[in-house]
Amino acid sequence: MNSVGEACTELKREYDQCFNRWFAEKFLKGESDGDPCGQLFKRYQLCVQKAIKEKDIPIEGLEFMGPSKGKAENSS
Amino acid sequence: HPWETVTTAAMQKYPNPMNPSVVGVDVLDRHVDGGGKLHSHRLLSTEWGIPSIVKSLIGTSRTKTYVQEHSVIDPVRKTMELKSSNISFTNLVSVDERLVYKPHPHEPDKTVLTQEAIISVKGVSLSSYLEGLMANTISSNANKGREALEWVIKRLNAEIEEFAASARGTMRNSMAAAAFVEK
Repeated sequence: MNSVGEACTELKREYDQCFNRWFAEKFLKGESDGDPCGQLFKRYQLCVQKAIKEKDIPIEGLEFMGPSKGKAENSS
Repeated sequence: HPWETVTTAAMQKYPNPMNPSVVGVDVLDRHVDGGGKLHSHRLLSTEWGIPSIVKSLIGTSRTKTYVQEHSVIDPVRKTMELKSSNISFTNLVSVDERLVYKPHPHEPDKTVLTQEAIISVKGVSLSSYLEGLMANTISSNANKGREALEWVIKRLNAEIEEFAASARGTMRNSMAAAAFVEK
């Protein structure tokens, strides 16, 4: 599965692998302390935030929302 | 399937053959709250196969629709709740969906899914027709969603099988190699 930002797909895959392992082996069994995927997530996040700004995707309620809020769809 | 299996599959739902229009999934935010529940905010990108002449008129960057999904998983109470709404550039139609997965109250190896959708159509006189159309689509999608998870669960089980088989093969090979060296 790809990322919304093409450049982020590899970072996403690494993070996903880490998360899926932690999720099934630790979290669901009640051991939710520790986050072995923190670093991978941060790197992946930075990439995604940049891609979202560049593509002007209007996501609400998230702190990195760009200044494009006022833009309207101009095709009929 | 037991709740843990369904929840694990739901987190890895895409890609799957029942949802070919989902082309991208990203995690926007994820954290465990004070009560031990995992919150995830995900962005799904979908591509509906708009004809190329339309694409050239409106510009290719606009052919994707985005869905924002917020999920909360409580591993102790064993509930998974998914709320999703589409982020549409036109804002004419919005679809909000809410799904809750819980273990079956009487059969612990099964999971119960409750699904509801709220469709809003703004300022369009075709609204009741459109709403009817979307309601039908959403209820057939509910079945598709179950099929999609079945598919993911089969795939995950096959991966585990494959991994176990190759681990056995590797051990046999290294034992054979060790025996050879000892001679």
